[in-house]
Amino acid sequence: MTSRILVVDDDTALAEMIGIVLRTEGFDTVFCADGAKAVDVWRSERPDLILLDLMLPGMDGIEICTLVRAESGVPIIMLTARTDTADVVKGLESGADDYIVKPFNPKELVARIRTRLRPAAQPAGEMLRVGDLTVDVAAHEVRRGDTVIALTPLEFELLVALASKPQQVFSREMLLEQVWGYHYKADTRLVNVHVQRLRAKVEQDPDNPKIVTTVRGVGYRAGAVV
Amino acid sequence: MARGSAEAPGGTKAPAARPAMSRVRDWRAWPGEVALLWRRSLRFRTVLITLALTALAILVACVWMALAIQNDLFDSRARQVQADALRASVEAQATLDSAEPQGSEVQLQNLLLAVGGTIAQQSETDLFTMKRSDQTPSSIAPPDLVSGGFESYVTVSEAMRAAVQADASRQWWQSVSIEVGDRSVPGIVVGQQLQVPELGTYELYLAYDLAAAQQTLGFVQLTLWVVGVGLVLLIGAIAWFVLRSVTTPIGEAADTSARLAAGELGVRLPVRGEDEFATLGRSFNAMADSIESQIKELADLSLVQQRFVSDVSHELRTPLTTIRLAADMINDRRDEFDPATARAAELLNAQVQRFETLLSDLLEISRYDAGSVQLELEPTSLAHLAEDVIASMHTLAEQHGSDVRLVAPGGYSPVELDPRRVRRIVRNLLGNAIEHGEGRPIVVTVDSDQQTVALGVRDFGIGMRPEDVEHVFDRFWRADPSRSRTIGGTGLGLSIALGDARLHGGELAVWSEPGRGSNFVLMLPRSGGQLTGTSPVPVEPGDDASAPLDDLGLTQPIDVQVTDAAASDSRSDADAPTAGGRS
Repeated sequence: MTSRILVVDDDTALAEMIGIVLRTEGFDTVFCADGAKAVDVWRSERPDLILLDLMLPGMDGIEICTLVRAESGVPIIMLTARTDTADVVKGLESGADDYIVKPFNPKELVARIRTRLRPAAQPAGEMLRVGDLTVDVAAHEVRRGDTVIALTPLEFELLVALASKPQQVFSREMLLEQVWGYHYKADTRLVNVHVQRLRAKVEQDPDNPKIVTTVRGVGYRAGAVV
Repeated sequence: MARGSAEAPGGTKAPAARPAMSRVRDWRAWPGEVALLWRRSLRFRTVLITLALTALAILVACVWMALAIQNDLFDSRARQVQADALRASVEAQATLDSAEPQGSEVQLQNLLLAVGGTIAQQSETDLFTMKRSDQTPSSIAPPDLVSGGFESYVTVSEAMRAAVQADASRQWWQSVSIEVGDRSVPGIVVGQQLQVPELGTYELYLAYDLAAAQQTLGFVQLTLWVVGVGLVLLIGAIAWFVLRSVTTPIGEAADTSARLAAGELGVRLPVRGEDEFATLGRSFNAMADSIESQIKELADLSLVQQRFVSDVSHELRTPLTTIRLAADMINDRRDEFDPATARAAELLNAQVQRFETLLSDLLEISRYDAGSVQLELEPTSLAHLAEDVIASMHTLAEQHGSDVRLVAPGGYSPVELDPRRVRRIVRNLLGNAIEHGEGRPIVVTVDSDQQTVALGVRDFGIGMRPEDVEHVFDRFWRADPSRSRTIGGTGLGLSIALGDARLHGGELAVWSEPGRGSNFVLMLPRSGGQLTGTSPVPVEPGDDASAPLDDLGLTQPIDVQVTDAAASDSRSDADAPTAGGRS
């Protein structure tokens, strides 16, 4: 089954070129050049992944990201011409899973997309426990008691990575490699922002985290099973 | 009088020096304190000078006046005394002339007593004497007439007696001191001849004391000195207050301009009235306005320029991405083209990458200019970081035949720094060393002390001339334009490295000599403080390029493993400028 990718970018030349690259790699592509229509296109096309430019006419990428996140956990990769801290963090906080800085090369783009589309294979049928949560890896489901907590695939993967080795402290670099597929030094803000988002969903008191705990100066680890 | 004049300046100095004295308890510090005030305080100095000059002028005036009054008093008294004496002697002579003693001693004695009575009546003094000029004994001559104990109070000099004896027609006078007990009073003695019938020439001496005139003079002089000293003090006080109205605005102006110079562009002088200070205030304020507006204009201009560079860089990124994707794709298929087109595709790809590097360097520089760079600090070991970078550049070093060695006696413990930026600095320095190292060994030294961690990159290549060393951190500057660029930097590498180092509160220093190679030393303060003192890695290496590498000290070839991580590391900072030409 070919994955369908929605490319939201007002620069038609770049969108077309990305399309060529992605089709060469065997992806199916859909385009949208207008920010205001992006959410509608996403609803009608239901792509497997969104490549989203941050600077768009009509509605900017951050707003689109927030709207899409409100309805779905579909992987979103931002395309940004700015590496300025504020913009990137704002994009990640609005729900983007990853970002790529322009200019990028095709291999990098394809690698990022593949990582998001094919999460690392998990041992099937396993039930993990972390804090007062039960993680059903096969069903992609997280429950507190009988309540199902909705997580995006990325957040789920982050939680599984931590929960599958409850004894281990994960540095941000390790998480970047395991969850985001970066094999080199990358932006550790990715980890920080997504841990915050995950906590906001799974913790009963996000200011006093019990599920994903911080180990000062090192990284994160899963909370003890209750 | 003399003592009075000596006291005047001393007395006048006291009020001016009093504030200084109350501050300083130790009297030995006073001279220093006064000298300091003299240098520092315009008011103090001016008041002191005014006081000294006024005191001198008043002293001269007082002395002159005192002397004039004294002379005048004496002269008038002397004239009065002479007139008095003349009247008395004329009356006495008349009494003598009318008498006819007829050689009787008793009658002569009575005559002299009568003359004495006349003199006492006619003159205001009762201190007089009549002496017979002829010293030859006479049987009828009565003893000399002495009134009021003349002999015991006054001594008439021989010169005066001789003068009186010599000239019968004139009156003579002399100032003497009249001894009263153990104190003496100034006085005047007037002498004249009297002709006594049958006894011949007698000399009449009348003594007048000047005590009254002396008293008047003393009172006048005392008044003069009191008024003089008072005037000096008054003028000093006036000068002090007048100067205060002048020096206070000056001090204000000095303060304000110092604050302006320190960068407080909003400060202004208060303008009061229409006088010179108001004019000064107005022109100062006009100057400050003009400086402020020009600085603001320049700042705006530079902001616009920075934003423009940043915008251009960003705007270029989108088309560049398209070109990059296309070039990559074409390059991947170059096997399908004829050789010329294949080469063109290769060149296109390489140059697009170079363009990209240049663009991101420019963007980085514009961020420094805009001051919008933020460090992302994390505890990092500089020695391990250096090891990583050396490993990641192993292939490049091998291509140039350079043996890169790490000497790390210290610098292992983690220090708060932005690893991405420091890695970029080290990569840049090492890239330069490899490019300019002429295939000779390169020594990377890491060491630390209490305050600083430092990293030195030493090559034994061609080195640089001193005038080149000065420009080595300039943007787009190249040591030798004619040299081919083998690594192909952007010319911005070292200025970005310097910017990164300074952002950490650190410094990037360079030593180089033609033929001996170069040494770049990065110094970073621990815990984001300030750099202090010396670098743990000396900027000027004490070594000799001709010495064999093994003699360099603790060098050890590092175990280089070209791992996946290291290989992709060089790719990772695609948006960070990598090894550049020595630029």
